Amino acid sequence: MSIVETEMLTKIYGKGETAVTALDRINLRIEPGEFVAVMGPSGCGKSTLLHLIGGLDQPTSGRVALEGRDLAGLDDTALTELRRRKIGFVFQFFNLIPVLRADENAALPLILDGVKPAEAKTRAEAWLGRVGLEDRLKHRPDELSGGERQRVAIARALASEPALILADEPTGNLDSLAADEIAILLRQVCDEWGRTVLMVTHDPRIAAYADRIAFLKDGTIVDETYLSGDGRDGEKLVREKLEAQI
Amino acid sequence: MSVRNALLGLLEQRPRHGYELHAAFEAMVGGRQNWDVKPAQVYSTLARLEKKGLVVVDALEQEGGPEKRIYAITPEGREALRAWLSTPVNTEHQRDEFFLKLMLSLACDEADPRGVIYTQRASLYRELHAVTARRGKADPRSELAHILLLDQAIMHLEADLRWLEMIEARLAEVARQPLPEPHARPRGRPPKES
Repeated sequence: MSIVETEMLTKIYGKGETAVTALDRINLRIEPGEFVAVMGPSGCGKSTLLHLIGGLDQPTSGRVALEGRDLAGLDDTALTELRRRKIGFVFQFFNLIPVLRADENAALPLILDGVKPAEAKTRAEAWLGRVGLEDRLKHRPDELSGGERQRVAIARALASEPALILADEPTGNLDSLAADEIAILLRQVCDEWGRTVLMVTHDPRIAAYADRIAFLKDGTIVDETYLSGDGRDGEKLVREKLEAQI
Repeated sequence: MSVRNALLGLLEQRPRHGYELHAAFEAMVGGRQNWDVKPAQVYSTLARLEKKGLVVVDALEQEGGPEKRIYAITPEGREALRAWLSTPVNTEHQRDEFFLKLMLSLACDEADPRGVIYTQRASLYRELHAVTARRGKADPRSELAHILLLDQAIMHLEADLRWLEMIEARLAEVARQPLPEPHARPRGRPPKES
């Protein structure tokens, strides 16, 4: 079973003459353990796609399924629970709470989810250790470098043990050295910790870390490239997909 | 030119025979796949350097096998090396086959320019993925020179990918404009001024 499956996923903003089709009948399937990058020019719909898959917004038509569950059938409570348990988010500007320390930031989603403070602390610290921040647990965001802040954010995302990590331009606010480190960490999230990562990026060097890149343009997937192996298997898969659509 | 100067540099390090020089050059440039120099070219270059007085045959080694000439750098050779090291390198202007392919795909009715771009992009991403993986495996504590070479490959691939992005964004506009054509030059004698 795929982790993510979208079927004819469409999002239209506005109405009538001023309507903008952000996503146009997107069919995307992501398998467990894949590292998929979504690229495209500004306004191509890549962030919209991420928001719909993360249940942060509702589609105009079409469907999104997470581990087989159609998001449309869920009410707000169920959606929130899904987001907290199944999905971890990583944003471009880190979105850490400035007044909280690294360990407190990482534990926060667990606390909000009703996990006991002691257990939340243990789990958060374990993940902060795994991302290499065992010496930074008590630091506040302003005492951390950009790369370290993003690592706190990733530990926070992983603390609730989600199956899927959604990253929206995770390296957009980092220098190239820190950006590479975060890309390597996201690779580890897949290869070592067995999660699935869907990353939106416009940085070619960072996209190249993924297993597959989907290219979006004007709301549709215009091309897909498999990066591992000799590419020939990937090309065959893409051709099969394109033929299936006709 | 660079091979000649590289050999001078390697000889400045210490006298060597031709086979050693070939191996040392290959190792320094990161392997045959980066810069392929045949042993014959090394020997003919050494002969020319000897003729110009930039190197001399220092000794003849003979350990049962064929005679091996050991070359050493001369003071003139050192001077030439110094001059080369203090001169900037000209950036080589490369012939771009992809650009040609793109222009022709625009010119020919049957072809699909966007497809040409996508095919190239896919190939570049696969290469970037592979080089990035190789770079990840290299040890920065002992292979930093090799890493620098990989970094260069990565940056070139990144530049090419960004250029492709630019091309794709402006493809419609390029397709609308007339393709580069030769200027019609007037032939024959210029008309007489009356």
